[in-house]
Amino acid sequence: MKYLPLIWSGLWRKPGRTVLIFLQVSVAFALFGVLQGLKTGVAHAVSAARADLLIVHSRLSFIAQSLPAGLLEQIRTVPGVKVAVPVELFGATYQKPTERIGGVAVDPVADWPSAFTYTIAPAYVAAFSKSRTAMLIRDLVAEKYGWKIGDHIPLTLSVPQKDGSTTWAFDVVGTFSDTDIGGGRYIVIVSLPYFDEARLTGKGSLNHFNIALTDPKLAAPVADRIDQRFANSSHETKTESLRELAQSSMQMIGDFDFLIHAVVGAVLVALLFATTTMMIQSIHERTPELAVLKTVGFTDGAVLLLVLAEALLVFLAGASFGLLLATLSLPVAARFVPGLSMPGVVLVIGFALGSAVALISASVPALLAARLRIATALGGHGAA
Amino acid sequence: MSFTRQFLALLAMSLAGIPRRVGSVLTILIGVSCAVGVLVSMLAMSSGAHSQALGNVSDDRVVITSLGARGIESSIPREEADTIRNLPGLKIGSDGKPMVVLQSIVPIEGRRRPAGTRGFFGLIGVTDSPLRDSQPEMRFTEGRMFRPGLHELTVNNPCVRQFTGFAIGDRRAIGGAGWTVVGHFDQGDAQQCVVVTDAETLMSTFKSNTYTQAVATLQSQAAYASLRQALEADPSLHLEVRHEREAMEEGIKQLNALLNFAAYFIGSIMAAGATLGAVNSLYSIVDSRRREIATLRAIGFGSAPVGAAVLSESVALALPGAALGAFLAWALFNRMAVSPFGFSFHLIVTSRQAAIGVAWALAMGLIGGLLPALRAARLPVTAALRAT
Repeated sequence: MKYLPLIWSGLWRKPGRTVLIFLQVSVAFALFGVLQGLKTGVAHAVSAARADLLIVHSRLSFIAQSLPAGLLEQIRTVPGVKVAVPVELFGATYQKPTERIGGVAVDPVADWPSAFTYTIAPAYVAAFSKSRTAMLIRDLVAEKYGWKIGDHIPLTLSVPQKDGSTTWAFDVVGTFSDTDIGGGRYIVIVSLPYFDEARLTGKGSLNHFNIALTDPKLAAPVADRIDQRFANSSHETKTESLRELAQSSMQMIGDFDFLIHAVVGAVLVALLFATTTMMIQSIHERTPELAVLKTVGFTDGAVLLLVLAEALLVFLAGASFGLLLATLSLPVAARFVPGLSMPGVVLVIGFALGSAVALISASVPALLAARLRIATALGGHGAA
Repeated sequence: MSFTRQFLALLAMSLAGIPRRVGSVLTILIGVSCAVGVLVSMLAMSSGAHSQALGNVSDDRVVITSLGARGIESSIPREEADTIRNLPGLKIGSDGKPMVVLQSIVPIEGRRRPAGTRGFFGLIGVTDSPLRDSQPEMRFTEGRMFRPGLHELTVNNPCVRQFTGFAIGDRRAIGGAGWTVVGHFDQGDAQQCVVVTDAETLMSTFKSNTYTQAVATLQSQAAYASLRQALEADPSLHLEVRHEREAMEEGIKQLNALLNFAAYFIGSIMAAGATLGAVNSLYSIVDSRRREIATLRAIGFGSAPVGAAVLSESVALALPGAALGAFLAWALFNRMAVSPFGFSFHLIVTSRQAAIGVAWALAMGLIGGLLPALRAARLPVTAALRAT
């Protein structure tokens, strides 16, 4: 600790240089923080996805294949199933073809919200089940379009009504929020019995069933039992938890890791080079000072440690600042990529990397400083 | 001495001094090449995605979908499909019928190579119009076209590379039926896996009564307006027509916007880092040449040429960095296959992206050189000469 002033004065010998290195390290670690935050944030979101909420969909594919509504009875009677909710998905637009909204039609059976990731006030749930044309809107939808409870909203759906018209109207009865990352930002919930009755095509077919369990531990056996019931039928099912679905959609993002590693690698290589050169330059300029230190009794090892400590200090300060910037920017980025976060492990990795790069880039200059011979250095031959 | 002569003499001196300042020079070179390399590689993603998605687009083809629907949301009932064939402006094929291919598209889950992860490919059922007429870019490399009614699949070569189970003769169970792969084809440079079969067989397997979309060939590009008018004039039709280019662009728009954003976001952060490194290096170069510069000023060199020479040196070091970065991007990543978000394409490094990289390097060189150039130009001559 008593050497701190010495390290400090070494750093501020050329303030411009130190500040520039500090900024360069900050920039590098801000980028590292954002990229790594993206990666771990996504991984974190996957593990946070509910494993106790099951989705029964067609074995063929989750998105495009429908299941007959008649499967409900057989699903509901599987031991361990608390609530089974038929769900149909549809696409809608509001006013302009570019204003796209995801539609979820659910059968408002008792306690249906427990089979979803949505948070809905009980009063809204009650209002939703009372009216056939009721619609619940996600808070983001309310924010974007300014819809209020009681509003009568015309939407253009991809499914025509019985009279052939694709314009539908729903009454807003409440709002909800959603914690799931895969559900889409702009979604509305309407009543399935009304939707199914009023549509021209596709009557009686559903996209999937949502299931809440009596006991979260039963997820795997319940899923197996449901799929067994429909095995070798014309409607083979695949039952997966939300977490499993999230995992497979993460796999679809692709070579994410490779990209991040490549970019972070390039950043660190450039940083390593820049700081090594700067440190060597600095040691050259300070040759006489270092020689004086040795003259007054500092050992080679002490000088080595002194130089390493300087590098560590700048790097850790820069890395902290950069990671702080990244943390501050994540809430903004999370608006575009849902589920972003900066778990502590990213900070730990960041500081570890920062220390490693500091020690590597300072090793050559530190060795140069340690090997300095007093006589030559003070003789002025080593001075830059 | 004129400005130009002084400037050239100074620049020659700075460049001649490069071997003595390897560290600082390499810092600029490597910093810039890393930033440009990352920028160019990431731009190569969006350009690859764009060029390969639009590579087979033909200006005389249009896509007809149900009104307001995008992708597989679209559904066209059989009755409406029949009216599409009677629309005006359609080209007549070699079989004497209007060139309309009705498509029924079902996304099917497959296993991706090499890790066996889940991925989707489009199984496209097409009606029996001669595909050779409407899709002349389709080129068989092995096997043959599917035969209607036989549960046969014809797949493009990207499927064979990306997914398991697409070799000729392989059987796949889809929708409770067994399907045999009978042919491989290439379609321009498209990298998205496409599996083609007969529409009726596919629709009966999936008990579907609606097509997803129709791809029609126009007599001429001018026929688009009359076709569009005819669709809008009939209130019983819930259809919308778009140029194939427009439909394809819409499909890839979001991905492209994301990739471009990522490229410029990461690229500009790295460029900022490289610029900071350049500033530092140039400062130290200027500092190490204080006496030299002061001497030059004392014998009559002006401050403007001194500053300009430092700025030019900065640019002169950044440009080879850009060239190196763009070359590395090309050498390492050109034609690398990637599949983000279910889209498959090759990275394509073009001269346009290399030019963008060079422009960025120019900016890094100029911005990075600015402050050091000012310091060199303003060097107090007497103080610098007295300094040890």
